Order: sequence, then structure tokens, then C-alpha cells
Amino acid sequence: MAVSREEVMEKVREHLASELEVPVGDISGSTRFREDLDADSLDLYELVMELEDTYGIKVSEEEASRIETVDNAVDFVAAQIPA
Amino acid sequence: MSAEKAAGVTVALDVMGAERGSEAVAEGVRAAVADGISVRAFGLAEALEPLLAIDGVETVQAADWIGNDVEPAATVRAKPEASIVLAAADVAAGRSQAIVSAGSTGATMAAATFALKRLQGVRRPALAIQLPVPGGEGAATVLLDGGANTEVRALDLVQFGFLGSAFCQAVLGVEAPRVGLLSVGEEDKKGTPTVIEAHAALASAEGIDFIGNVEGRDLLARQADVIVTDGFTGNVALKTIEGTARAVADAVRQAARSGPVSALGGLLLRPALGGLREQLNPDNTGGAILLGLRGVAIVGHGSSGPDGIANAIRLGEHTVRERAVERTAELLERAGATRGSLRDN
Repeated sequence: MAVSREEVMEKVREHLASELEVPVGDISGSTRFREDLDADSLDLYELVMELEDTYGIKVSEEEASRIETVDNAVDFVAAQIPA
Repeated sequence: MSAEKAAGVTVALDVMGAERGSEAVAEGVRAAVADGISVRAFGLAEALEPLLAIDGVETVQAADWIGNDVEPAATVRAKPEASIVLAAADVAAGRSQAIVSAGSTGATMAAATFALKRLQGVRRPALAIQLPVPGGEGAATVLLDGGANTEVRALDLVQFGFLGSAFCQAVLGVEAPRVGLLSVGEEDKKGTPTVIEAHAALASAEGIDFIGNVEGRDLLARQADVIVTDGFTGNVALKTIEGTARAVADAVRQAARSGPVSALGGLLLRPALGGLREQLNPDNTGGAILLGLRGVAIVGHGSSGPDGIANAIRLGEHTVRERAVERTAELLERAGATRGSLRDN
């Protein structure tokens, strides 16, 4: 599956905006899940599972725990799938 | 319940982890399908064996299952072939309409939450318990959260009030459920900062009948139809009620055996006490329901006997039939009680 980093970024922003009910314009690469979006572990689990389902990747618990910002999530996905 | 009424609803049942074994599960399933409810049963081959000959039951063999002794969320993700994960996926795929499990509460909550997803705008799903209230007529009192969230925010407690109210209307048939907030005093400034903040938000909320704070002694007093609290307090309260009921029952039994006159009194009271025991039997309520999801998930009592299994399946069917999920979503939206709306207010 060839997916650009921009497409992954858009997917993450849309998911977060919908699930957390925040304007998509408030979400950028440097946005922190917990501090800026008030997301908790359940929100992050759902994001990770959405990305796994969408891109056919697998994220371990340890890898998931290191995802703190939108950029972290996008970079992780981009590194798992061919550009 | 007639077979005609139940026709059309299929329940995905995880048969693993029931403390009283697969024969008890099979007996409960047999009673539920006699009402016309279809069941798709998920489990290891040997646990499915007693269900194979039951008409109206389709069995789906799982390669694995999840017990009580693991971290639920990580294990659910790591075991896609576990029975509860397959059952949850079955509902998500639309092959069945409700998950029922008498196994691990944590695994059921995690699998259901991941597969069915939260309702739009719900931050934390909550476990709603129907408290068996002795004496009198009418619906059970609904306590939530019964243990899904040990720590909550005021926003969560407000949402629990709406979730419980919608469930009470849709499933228990209470027209205008009275919602109480569990605290340490009736006054609106009594309680933790979270409870005080939730009280203020609930008092100004539209769409539910908030009656203010209730205390622990009110749990079984029919003061409210819905009692809202955090999962830590709710679980402690629930276990306290169960333990107290058991201790009182033992004390009554001992007192009745303390002498010939007492024994005679005990004999005379036996029919009435038997009826009371039946009222308090947790098997009659069908277990707890996880509210706030886009689908129906029932967590049966681990110690459920055949009646408990049958009633958990019936509760799942009834919840689907009464469109409780859809009605809950409508109430949250209409009342402005979604996550985004509450945060902005």
C-alpha cells in the first residue's frame, strides 16, 4: 500500500477531530495527545487500532506507549509502510 | 417473552470463563432460545460441546480465550482469536446484535469497547448494574459506574447520568427516571471536588431529572432510579451490599436455629424469606451492561447459573429491541451532553 506522509497525517487529524470533538484546525504535527487534546489511554488505543486496521500494520504495546504527539504517530506509520 | 417478540435478534455469547461450567451455560442458552432468541456461541471446542445439539444455536470455535488474571486491554489486542474478541467482532460485523459474556469483566469491556467503539461524544463507557431492591414493585435501581472507571472527571459523571437515564427509559420502561449523584451528604457542596463540580453541571443540565445527591443508605431505598458514581466507589458499594446481604442472611439463619421457638418462627417465615431471596438473586437481573458504546454488551455474573445466563441473553435481546443505544445517542446529542459540548460549556 503506497501512502504518503500527508495522507497519514490527514487520517490521524480527522480521526482525532471526530473522536475527541475538537476542530481539525487545532490539530497539527506538534500537538500532544494528553496535554493538548486531553486524550487518555483509551483514546490512544482507539487511534492505534484505527491505524492498524487502515494501514495493515502492527503496533506493539511498547511502541504505542512511545507515541506522544501527532507527529510521533504519523512517523511511526510512515516508517511501517512503503512510500 | 414470546418467540414472536424475540425473533430477529442474534446474541453473540462467549461461553468461556463461566464459573459454573458449560453445562450450566447450555441450560441457560436452551431457555433463552426457547424464547426465540438466536445465539451464536463462541468458545473452545470442549466448552461448545454441550451446545451442539440445541436448535437455534450456532457454534463458532475459538482457538483461545481470556481469563481474569491478565491485563485486559493489552491481552485483547494480543489475542485476536480469543472467544470474547471473536464474539465482539461478530457484533461489529453485524452478524449478531449483542455481546453477552459470563467470563472476565475486564476482557469483555476491552473487547466490546475496541470492536463496537464508543458512542460519538462519550469519553468513558460505564458499567451499569441493576440493583435488586427488596420489597415493593417497580424497576430496579440502576447504579453506574459499577467498576469500569476507577477514576473519573466531572464530565464523566454527567455523562453517566445521561447514559443511565436513557437505559432506564428504554430498557426498564421508567418514563422520567430520577437521577441521583452518590455523595457523603445531600447538600450540593458535599463531596469531592469532582462530585461537587458534577452536581453543579447535572443541576443545570436539561433532558434528565436530576434530584441531587443521594447517600449510601439510599442505594436500596428507591430514592432514585439511577445512581451515578465513579467505578471505584460503585464497585465498593456493590460488594458491600452483597456482603451485607450475605451476612444478614447468615445471621437470620443462625438466629432461627438458636432454639425451638426460634426454629418454629423460622419455619413460619420460610416462604416469605424464600421470596425475598428470590428478589435479591442477582441471576434475575441478567448482569451488568456496558453503556456508552455503539452496540450492546452485557457482562453476566461470573457465578451465573442457568437463569443468570438466560437472563443475560434476554437482557441483550431486549436492549437491542428497545433501541437503547440509538436512544442514548439521541438523548446525549439533544441534551448537549457530548464530550465536546460539555467541555465547551
